Amino acid sequence: MGFWRFLCCLLLVLTTEASHAISDRAATEQVAAQLLASVDSVSPGSEIYLGVNQKIIPHWHTYWSNPGDSGLATTISWKLPEGASASDILWPIPGRISLGTITNYGYSNEVTLLSKITVPTTVLVGSQFTVEATVDWLVCNEECIPQQVELSLSLPVVTSARPASSGSPLIQQALAQLPVTSPWPASVDAATGELNLHIGISEAQAKNIKDIWFYPADWGVIAQNADQPKQITASAISLKLKTGEVPLKPNQPLKGVLVVTEQTPEGVIATGFNLELTPTTPATEKAPEIGFVSALLLALVGGLILNLMPCVFPVLSLKALSLVRHADHAPEEVRLQGWVYTAGVLVSFSLLAAILVILKAGGAQIGWGFQFQSPLFVILVAYLMFVVGLNLSSVFVIGGSIAGVGSSLADRKGYSGSFFTGVLATIAATPCTAPFMAAALGYALSQPSAKLFAIFLSLGFGLALPYLLLANWPRLQSWLPRPGAWMEVTKQAFAFPMYATAAWLVWVLAQQAGPNAVIIALVGMVALSFAAWLYNTTRNASPRTERVGTIAALAIVVAIIFTSYRGLETYATANLANESSSEQKNWEAYTPARLESLLAEGKPVFLNFTASWCISCLVNERVALSNSTVVNAFSANKITYLKGDWTKRDAEITAILTKFGRSGVPLYVFYPAGKNSKPIKLPQLLTPDIVLSTITTQQ
Amino acid sequence: MLRKLTTLVALTCALVSSQVFAEPTVDQAAPTFTAKTADGKTIDLASLKGKTVVLEWTNHECPFVKKHYDKSGNIPGLQKEFTAKGITWLQVVSSAPGKQGYVDGAAAIKANKDRNAVPTNTILDPEGTLAKLYGAQTSPHFFIINDKGVLVYKGGVDNVASNKPEDIAGATNYVREALTAIASGKKVPNPSTKPYGCSIKFAS
Repeated sequence: MGFWRFLCCLLLVLTTEASHAISDRAATEQVAAQLLASVDSVSPGSEIYLGVNQKIIPHWHTYWSNPGDSGLATTISWKLPEGASASDILWPIPGRISLGTITNYGYSNEVTLLSKITVPTTVLVGSQFTVEATVDWLVCNEECIPQQVELSLSLPVVTSARPASSGSPLIQQALAQLPVTSPWPASVDAATGELNLHIGISEAQAKNIKDIWFYPADWGVIAQNADQPKQITASAISLKLKTGEVPLKPNQPLKGVLVVTEQTPEGVIATGFNLELTPTTPATEKAPEIGFVSALLLALVGGLILNLMPCVFPVLSLKALSLVRHADHAPEEVRLQGWVYTAGVLVSFSLLAAILVILKAGGAQIGWGFQFQSPLFVILVAYLMFVVGLNLSSVFVIGGSIAGVGSSLADRKGYSGSFFTGVLATIAATPCTAPFMAAALGYALSQPSAKLFAIFLSLGFGLALPYLLLANWPRLQSWLPRPGAWMEVTKQAFAFPMYATAAWLVWVLAQQAGPNAVIIALVGMVALSFAAWLYNTTRNASPRTERVGTIAALAIVVAIIFTSYRGLETYATANLANESSSEQKNWEAYTPARLESLLAEGKPVFLNFTASWCISCLVNERVALSNSTVVNAFSANKITYLKGDWTKRDAEITAILTKFGRSGVPLYVFYPAGKNSKPIKLPQLLTPDIVLSTITTQQ
Repeated sequence: MLRKLTTLVALTCALVSSQVFAEPTVDQAAPTFTAKTADGKTIDLASLKGKTVVLEWTNHECPFVKKHYDKSGNIPGLQKEFTAKGITWLQVVSSAPGKQGYVDGAAAIKANKDRNAVPTNTILDPEGTLAKLYGAQTSPHFFIINDKGVLVYKGGVDNVASNKPEDIAGATNYVREALTAIASGKKVPNPSTKPYGCSIKFAS
């Protein structure tokens, strides 16, 4: 039967080719074709649409510009009067036809393929504008038959004074089926073996969508026969596209048509949207550029710089002090102290890495500095800093057996002192996302666990390095002053950075958990100082009193921690409810929806992601973003300034940080005016000039 | 005895796993298979190690295949040229019984005689097992395996997807390009291209 049908069709094709009785209609066994025009008559210099309409018998189909796995796109070759020109085919939105392992893109039942024709000004009024089209198509159900027809159409040429007629309604229908520009912001990121297409369709709009499918303009960019699983979030629909045989090259845009089939009051309507998007690499656009080795190096440099960060410096100062103490020890011992300190840092960093790996495995939306988003953690560190300060101020002196990490820091001769100094340095270092560190960490978070560990260790080694060098380089040590009475003074002086840190942490706490948390923390500190004093005054009494003192002091500490925990739990939630800001501000709170609507309108947007525990963020805000010239430039250029606060955990902000390759704040991004404008990432340390030049040159 | 048993188990595992992880990838080991040929023999890909093997999906009734056989002699020419250079050229017919292009052994041999085709052999795959194993989609569709058993090319015969024989002259013949590159020890310049032709007629 197949053979006979084929023979029959072959004959038909041959006879069509042979006979030159050209009309506007031609038919094969499977397809009836007709040449149509958008007008009944043409005028010189006008533009008209011509369409080749195909009526296809059931179960057969013809093909779209990218036919998919097999098949062949229909072609039209025009023979036009001199001076006239025809556009390429304007393809209506396709459908997909799957058969076994292959998926094709094309048309069933009926389709009209449009071309725009320019009528030259030289055509004579009163003559006939005659066009001929040779149309080649492949029509398939299971079998495929290449067919060719010739069609012709003559339209009278009239003066332009006469109004253009509407021509065939099929042309209007076909025009309505052409893909249009997407009203939704869209982006693509590339991962291994897949592309993730994000379309900013809201959850409410998404409810009416019955089908959403991306049709690539070129074969092989995605696997045609793979499913396109979709994920609907509050602000977007994401389609996972499996990479095909010919993946996109770097900077090559993903082109194609997104077809959205919606249930509307008027029935089911399919709309096509043209997309041309250059993929970004998720998690970090640096991933392909910064290799593992450079990430290690960056982490090392980042660790070194961490030493200079305000959060670590007090600890480093402590170390400097203890170094002075060690200057009279044997060089071997000092060297060993250096290594023990390094070990303390490295062990802490391994622990952090392990926690990250576990949380990552659990799918938690986390980032660097995340532990500072817990008010309890902040208050405990504040207490720790305060107690260390008390110790430095000689309010209490620790005996040999006391527990507690920070308290044993400077005073203990043992190696555990050095070790825990390393631990403390690490804890204090975490909220400072120094430059260099962000890139390496963003990279680390996107890596397998083993690499993540290596990068963390490198970071830790960088942090420990200055002290390690001092400990190992006797000549460097000889530069240090000799021990003496000044040491006690120095020690006491170093208490103040600790108090300052504690004060800062209380302020952070206030942002997180409200004013009531401040009173909890301050009362806690008063109680702590009482415990410290109690402990110290009972030292030289009878052993019994000494024991009572120790137990009482410990009991007070436990009570403080417990009360703080309960209190914070109550106030943190209460504070969330009535959070409001009355201060004069030139920024709005960041929400993904707000950003989306601004971008959709093509307005310029400046994004600032900050956290109150992030010092560089605050410095940038003070120095650059609150600068009056910058503030004025923002309002002059009608830039909407959105601020995202990451002081508390916020999955949406974590998500956008990840999108820009960061795992921590600060992050500054500028979207210039205009739809689909490319976001510009600003450096992590801002000056007014950097901000001004970014927003003005890109306008 | 024990060694034979282990080999057997290993082979079975290899076969099963290659079937599980279908869709062969360029630059990776091509899935091995054993299959029946038109002359009634059994062919085993593993036994062809050391030779370059071309797998060509065909369907003598498909207009695209006709373009490259009857109407131009393009593919038979390639077969002649490269089998003479020691390349093993295996046609694969995956049309199911009752579908376009289905042949039994005798019909396959006759069809090749009629169109001057000279492949090394023709594999009969009416169940479509081999087509599914390789992810073959169209006729023609080519897969080239190098002497180390690695898939080095998959795709179409050339870069002009059409059914017109006159287009052959101006097209880049990917199969010749790949085989020439392999012969001179170079990397295949276009290792993965779009196949075009009739879809493979699996049993429905």
